[in-house]
This record gives sequence, C-alpha cells and structure tokens, in this order.
Amino acid sequence: MDIPKILEQLCGLGGASGGEEKAHETVLKLLKSYIPNVKADNFGNITGFSEGDEKKPLVLLEAHLDRIGMIVTKIDEDGFLKVSGMGTDRRTLLAQSVTVYCGDKTVKGVISTLPPHLSTDSSKAPKTEDIAVDVGMTKEKAEQIVSLGDLVLIDGRFSRLRDTRVCSPATDDRAGVCAVLYALDLLKEEKELPVRLAVLFAAQEEVGCRGSKIAAFNIAPDYAVAVDVSFAQSKGVDYPQAGELGKGAMIGIAPSLSREISQKLIKIARDKEIPYQIEAMSGTTGTDADSITVAKGGVSTGLISIPQRYMHTPCEVVDTEDIKWAGMLMAEFVKSI
Amino acid sequence: MELKETVKYLAGLNGTSGDEKDVTEAIIALLPKDAEYKIDPLGNLIVEKKGKTRPKSKLMIDAHTDEVGFIVTNINSDGTLSFDAVGGILPYVVFGRQVKFKNGVYGAIAGVPLHLLEGEGKDSQPKIFDLCIDIGAKSREEAEKSVQQGDCAYFTGEQFDFGDGFMAGKALDDRAGCAIMLELMKKELPYDCTFSFSVQEEIGTRGAAASAFSINPDIAVVLETTTACDISGVKGEKRVCELGKGPVVSYMDKGTVYNRQLYKLAFETAKEIGVQCQTKTAVAGGNNSGAIHKAAGGVRTTAVSLPCRYLHSPCCVIKESDLYETVKLAEALIERLGSLES
Repeated sequence: MDIPKILEQLCGLGGASGGEEKAHETVLKLLKSYIPNVKADNFGNITGFSEGDEKKPLVLLEAHLDRIGMIVTKIDEDGFLKVSGMGTDRRTLLAQSVTVYCGDKTVKGVISTLPPHLSTDSSKAPKTEDIAVDVGMTKEKAEQIVSLGDLVLIDGRFSRLRDTRVCSPATDDRAGVCAVLYALDLLKEEKELPVRLAVLFAAQEEVGCRGSKIAAFNIAPDYAVAVDVSFAQSKGVDYPQAGELGKGAMIGIAPSLSREISQKLIKIARDKEIPYQIEAMSGTTGTDADSITVAKGGVSTGLISIPQRYMHTPCEVVDTEDIKWAGMLMAEFVKSI
Repeated sequence: MELKETVKYLAGLNGTSGDEKDVTEAIIALLPKDAEYKIDPLGNLIVEKKGKTRPKSKLMIDAHTDEVGFIVTNINSDGTLSFDAVGGILPYVVFGRQVKFKNGVYGAIAGVPLHLLEGEGKDSQPKIFDLCIDIGAKSREEAEKSVQQGDCAYFTGEQFDFGDGFMAGKALDDRAGCAIMLELMKKELPYDCTFSFSVQEEIGTRGAAASAFSINPDIAVVLETTTACDISGVKGEKRVCELGKGPVVSYMDKGTVYNRQLYKLAFETAKEIGVQCQTKTAVAGGNNSGAIHKAAGGVRTTAVSLPCRYLHSPCCVIKESDLYETVKLAEALIERLGSLES
C-alpha cells in the first residue's frame, strides 16, 4: 500500500464531526478491499468484520473518522455565517477559504477578517464571535442555500514536505485511519489469523469520543487498539511528553489503558525491531481508547499514537514513516494473540 | 485571455516585492504586438502603447506587480526557518497557513498548538517572530538543500469564484490592476499612454517613484485594490467602501491628497457613462499615487481602485462586476485626461 497516496486520498475527504457521511463512500470502498463485511451505522461510524471462527477472540482496530470543523449557528443580516468552533484553533482561521456542506451541495466561502484600521489589538487571538464566513450572498440568498447546523471545513491542500513528511488540515485522524488500513494490508497475506478482526472508524471523536462509545458497545471486542495522533516536539513546544516526528509510533501507557497490552506492544516493537516511543500519561488519554475501555463490561485496550505537529491547525504535519510503523505494530499485535 | 481569467492567472503567479520577475515575464508574454516595452534597473516594466493621437498631457497608467509574502531570515539548527513578512501582513493571517517556495518546496507556518498553552497564551495571537516555517527538514543542513536565506515564501491556495459573482485568492492586490492594464491595452485607445507595471509597492511604493521619474508624465492614473470593510457586523462609515458599488476614487489617503480636478472629473465621467463609482469614508491606506504625485517635479494623480475585502491575506475578495466597471471608467478617464491641458 502506498501510504502517502492513500493518506492524501483520505485527507481530501470531508467529514467534520457529525458529518462523517461525506467520507463514507471512499472509506467503505477502501476498507472493503480488505474485509468483506463493512457498513456505516446511523451515527456515522464505519465498522467492518473479518470472517472466521466465532470462538476466536475478537480484536478491534480503531481510528476516528471525523475531522475538526465548524457548525453554522446563524446567518446574519449581511449574509455572513456565524459559526461555532468544535476544536478548530481560532488563531489560524481568518482569511482561510472554507467549504460549507449544505445537504448535497457545497458552497465556498472565506472567513472574514478585519482590516488594520479596525483591528485595534492584533496581539489578541480572535474570539469565536469574531469568526464569520463570507459566502458572497445576501441574507435572503444565503438562507435559501445554507441551513443552521450545516458543517464547515477549512480548505487546505495535502502538501508533501521534505522526505516522508506531509501537511494537511486533516491528518488528525486520517493518519490513524491510514495506519489501520495499512495494518490490514499487511495482514491480507496471512492464511489464518489467530483472531477475528473488527475495524471501527469512529464518528464524533473531536466532540467527546461519542461514536466509539456507541460502536464499541455493539462490537463488544475482547481486545482493542486505538490509533490517534498525539503531540510531537516542535519549535516552541515545552511539553515533556511530546514525541518526536519520524522516531516511531508512540505506545501509550496510562492508568486508563490495559497495561498488559501496552507491555505487549512494547515487546513486539522490540522483538520485531519496529521503531517506537513511549507516551506515558497520568490519567485518561483524551482519545477513543478511553470510551472503548469502558464499553459494555470493559475492554482491554491499548493506544498507539502517531506523533503530530501543529494539532488542530490547517497545517498538521506527520511523518508517513510513523504511520507505517503504527500499522506494523497493529498487524504484529493481531498475529501475536 | 478574458479579463477575469487574466486576473486569476496573474494572481496565481508568485512575486513578492523585489522578486517580481515571474509576474513581469508573464505580463510581457500577454502584451499586444504593437506595444513597445522596456524593463528599468529596478524591474519596472514600462510599456508604450500608441493611441489614436498624442495627448495634450502625457499620461501614465500604473499598477504594481508585487504582492505581500514572506522572506526567510534564518535557517535554524532544528531545520525550521525563521521568516518575516514582506509588506504589511497582520499576524491573524499567518499562523497555520501553508506556504510554497518558487522551487516547489512546501512548508507549514508553525506555532505551538492551543492545547499546549496556558492562561493568556491561549488568547494571544502569535507574532511572526514567534512562528517558523516547517518544510519537514530535520536539520539545518537538510533544510539548506531546499531553501536559502532570502528566499521568498508564498501563500498557497487556488483562486476561486464564489457566491454571487465574487472572486477570492491571494495577490488580487494588485494583479487585478495589472490585468486591467492589459485589458486597456487590447483596446484602441484615444491617446498614447505609458503603462508602468511597477515593482516594490508593498514595501513603500518604491518602484513607481523611479518609473514616474523616467516616464515624466503630466497626469497619472493608478489602478489598485483598496480595503473594503463591508463585512459582518461593521456599520456605516466604518465599512469604508463596498463591493459591488463600482470603482473607488479617493480624495485622500495616508500617502496622497488627490488632485481635486481629477477627483471631480472621475465622478463626472462615471456619471456620464453610467458606471457606479464610490469614494472611501475613511482616510486610510495608500498606494503608488503617494510616490508618483511627488515625482519628476509633480504629477497630477488619481487612483481608481477595486474595493477588496481581506487585503494582504491568502484570500482577498473582489467582485467581478467591479472589475468590469473599473475597466470602463479607466478607459473613459483616459479619453478625458488626454485632452486636458498639461
């Protein structure tokens, strides 16, 4: 599998939290090439199951499908759309081109910005109430096309930086989706797996890990590994837990995760010489792993994180080698059970 | 190429102040066959276009070729690039943008994620000096293979149409003016005109100062874009000027008190030919008029500008109808200005 190419395809898809269906067609098709039983549920989740002996343990590989976006809360008298954030870094929004998803249609727009003579203090970050989308229409016209609750995504290209690094507004968590697909790609040659596989591309992680809560209950796996992005060191970042780009997937150790699975992942990485880093956290993880662990009667869950720079900005940077290593770790984990 | 397409094509090219060569070359390729041109030592492209007759007053028409952008000031040991803005760019439109270098290298304008900031840091807009460009290099040595100090970086993003006849994209300031000059040159003009595609406007109207000296006109018309603030929540005179209400003719900005006779003539002309025309409700900004009117012993100068939202950003916005109205007004003005006594 050509990881940068698939990642570019995934990052090009819509799917703000609550609007994941925009990514469904392509992701279902990609997933179906590895696993026969795939479907999208009513909550925006995509699930897939491998065939096999029902007595074998069920292992879930998970990444979230949604990406950060905004939601239209008002159409003002000038025809501009007021929006609410949902996780987007408001320091990066002004004068960005956006796409508004209005049912089957899309509308292009620009986030408005005040000119110098009206922006009195440019050292202050814009507030959410300062954010308005210019769709180039009067109020009456805008109201015919845009509805309150429509979702908005920042446009932004998928750029290849030097070597294996890439930049896009959507690597959180399309990098994780890509890693799961790569794990399946590595496993497709295996004659018989010791487990049955379940895959979940979950909705609404960015608004509170909601899709995974619903889907993990329905899937009821015996073991799970979630893959998300996490902070990487970069200029100005003073955060000891941050990983390093291109130095391997980060294996999470946290009170909320299964220590057995964490240790198993570390052992696999050592034995198979897969580059890895440790991400030790003091409570929960802020990822879907938290909701999967407490699904139904509890699920032993591990977390693999792909180091990422500039989280929740329109230029999130990851190293595709880290995605590859995350996929290899998951594949070896599945084989080891 | 149709006017609108020319605007998009030129705006898609990269040329900050001092680095306008690609833009100038593209414009030369689009000049009509009967136009004579030269490039002066600063890089200004000066084009003589014959009209039906010689004007009583020598006419100079100006637009600038440069755009705002970024310049690499240092290559750091970790492989990131320190940079500064070329021209006035507000910090609001810098962090989180993707940029491109002329050699095809892409970069992210990088800062600390919101999650990792505390207290006041969360509500502060990072300054350009606190940001860096990440091109994916792991060390200074690696970065130097792609980028050198002094290289310029440009906003990425396509030019696009949206809403009811609006156009968005970088560098509409002032590639729109350049495209209008090319459009005027396609026509059979009533008078000989000298067109100056001027460099280095964004760092202090420098190119036009030199080209106005060499052209030595009696009268100049500057074709520009000017800040419109007809946006959400802004009322009354604070809107300054509005898209869709035609070209903007100012009486005064931060660089020029415009010639009163020409100011009046512009509005009279607009009225006669049935073109909507507006003035600004604030004394703000400036353009090449500031340099031209003081050059070569003094030049009577007027500016005809397209109202433009989000100037100096990755997404400037203009209205198509204003573009065509500006061409009409500029053409009619040339006819009247050429007959004025020098």
